[in-house]
Amino acid sequence: MTREEFLTEMQDVLQTDAELKFETVLADLDEWDSLSIMATMAFIDKNFGIKLRAVDIKAMNLIEDLAKKAGI
Amino acid sequence: MAVSTFKHVKICGMKTSIPENFIDIDDELQYFDNNSKKLTRQKKMIGYGRRYIADVRTTVTDLACDAAKKLMAEMSIKPEDVAMLIFVNQKPDYPEPCDANIAHGRLEFLKTCPAMQINLGCSGYVYALWTAHAMIESGAVKNCLLLAGDLSGRMTDQTNRKIAPLFGDAASATFLSYSGDERAATFVIGSDGKSWNKIVRPFGGTRLPLDKNTIDLQFEDVAGGTVKVSDGVINGEDVFAFTMNVAPPLITQTMTMAGWVTDDVNIFAIHQANKQILEMIIAKAEIPAEKTPTDVFSKYANNSTNSVVTVLCDQPRERMIDKAVLCSFGIGLSWGGAALDLSGMYNGGISTYKTPLDAWTREEQMAYWSQYFKGNQ
Repeated sequence: MTREEFLTEMQDVLQTDAELKFETVLADLDEWDSLSIMATMAFIDKNFGIKLRAVDIKAMNLIEDLAKKAGI
Repeated sequence: MAVSTFKHVKICGMKTSIPENFIDIDDELQYFDNNSKKLTRQKKMIGYGRRYIADVRTTVTDLACDAAKKLMAEMSIKPEDVAMLIFVNQKPDYPEPCDANIAHGRLEFLKTCPAMQINLGCSGYVYALWTAHAMIESGAVKNCLLLAGDLSGRMTDQTNRKIAPLFGDAASATFLSYSGDERAATFVIGSDGKSWNKIVRPFGGTRLPLDKNTIDLQFEDVAGGTVKVSDGVINGEDVFAFTMNVAPPLITQTMTMAGWVTDDVNIFAIHQANKQILEMIIAKAEIPAEKTPTDVFSKYANNSTNSVVTVLCDQPRERMIDKAVLCSFGIGLSWGGAALDLSGMYNGGISTYKTPLDAWTREEQMAYWSQYFKGNQ
């Protein structure tokens, strides 16, 4: 998965209309709720085989942090 | 993990009953800050749709007995034919006695037919089905009527938005009998009692009774919301992690123990926790989405104990299911998988229970008990 593809996928995972960038602050998104956190957990697990805990995801600041965790 | 295989039990028929009243998520825009975009997003992600909620005069025993009476009439089973009654639910009519006894009387079963209760929620149907199989296969009884259901819809405060939109009410009757011909049924069952407080209703039992000191208590939750003593609570993140750890391997292990591969299976009836969880289980267990209903959640919500039965009863009634995999998980925490041959089973579908005009109101019950205490009943 390329970095651009990662962004597009995250758009769908979070079900947000906001245009995502790597420097987007997660907490600034209206849609950054428990639903999104669970969807993100599943997305990272399924596509990158990395199991993150909800608390780890909650502690992340930027989309970039998620990408790094995924190794993108 | 208990792994059991039975060879001489037939699931002859099943039928689900739901109450008349329902709530559509589209009519609850006020709970989404009147923002239709928010509602649409949650509908899409969680699968919110319609949920049936029993009225205050209807209990799980009413729904289950309705299903039983209809199933028995449709299958020409007489009350005296039934050798054993098992009832599994988690929200009883009375603290005592158990609903199995109440249903036994209402269905006019013989005194030689024992009635027993199993107290479990989401995993409960598979546990009870396993018990019924063991009782029949052992020769203890020749058949069993299994009642299952819950009232998670009615017994949840509808303003408790963390839980209310997820749950609907339903109950069912399943008739099982000894079969001379071989037909295999495989069960994989487990529990994790250390996680008992991950899904819990802390008040109202003997540990913390609801009395005048507790009845009005309120607590603040992690999200700044309010928890009332009547509320059930789910630790969402932990239960989600539990589900993802347990359900996909449970499906695989159940198939393996039955000697089946994915291609053999006609239907995967998975506990309809919500659409997001179902889709994640499908992806992780690598089972085909077209064989795994997720729309039952949108049509009936999470029916707790009855959820996997609702999935099966929602199938076209004429559809023959040779091989079904059931996967249930939840409160306890506990889980159960089953690989079942349902060929020749009568599917009674999903029927609506209409509250009888003479169903007891609260006032009529009070009047009854006040006379009863005086020795007049």
